[in-house]
Amino acid sequence: MSVTVARDVTEAVKVPRALFLPWPMGHHFGVPFHRDLQRRVILAALKLLEESAEPGTIRTIRDLPIKWADVRREAKSMLTIQGQRL
Amino acid sequence: MTAADKTPAPAADPREAGTQLRPGLWQTINERYPGSMIRKESFVSQASLSKPLAESRLTLISSCGVHCKTDPPLDVCHPFGDFRFKRVPSSSKQRELIIHQLKYPHDDADLDLNVIFPIERLQELHMERRIGSLTPNFFSFIGYNMDPERFERTVAADIADAVVQQEHADCALLAPA
Repeated sequence: MSVTVARDVTEAVKVPRALFLPWPMGHHFGVPFHRDLQRRVILAALKLLEESAEPGTIRTIRDLPIKWADVRREAKSMLTIQGQRL
Repeated sequence: MTAADKTPAPAADPREAGTQLRPGLWQTINERYPGSMIRKESFVSQASLSKPLAESRLTLISSCGVHCKTDPPLDVCHPFGDFRFKRVPSSSKQRELIIHQLKYPHDDADLDLNVIFPIERLQELHMERRIGSLTPNFFSFIGYNMDPERFERTVAADIADAVVQQEHADCALLAPA
């Protein structure tokens, strides 16, 4: 069960199941300190692990309606509270 | 003909379409990583969970290059890559771990490791009994390797053996940084 931000590579290497998120490299599970978002990604991946019957299934953002711009904004506010900058 | 007729239809948002910006760029991963044993016509294997997730043992494998601060880092400068992997105790605290990798931006992961190696989130899900158990060790390596055949024969095979024979995992979550 893979969580990927590179769909074309994942299609090519033929993993059994993958959750594709069109997010920047290094941000597979979201943004810093956004615990809820990180959990949602993991749980979506684990749900696919339990449900997927077709080898090579790649589930996309359409099944996990989260916009990167929104989570980025939420991350900035979280870091601002901590006195850090994103 | 009205002005509206001349307006080209907006291109499908690749995020909505579920594609990336350059679909069809490669016919096979072998074009990007010559030497890989994976071919376009290769069979996609899949094993199903034999028991519910709440009773299963899960491991985490990532090419993010994280390791314990007490361990020496992998070689991030070797032109062909480092064909070794690191075991990361699944009970580790974030402050005990560090990322050594040059091939992807990990500024945000340095702030919160869970964005690429969600060890604390998995510990929480295990405590909540959503996941049956975690393997004693998770696995990490450096994704930059210029010899895919050697990589598959060493790192990939060794991790697969360790996951099955030593850690007795039922399933694995992969995070290919």
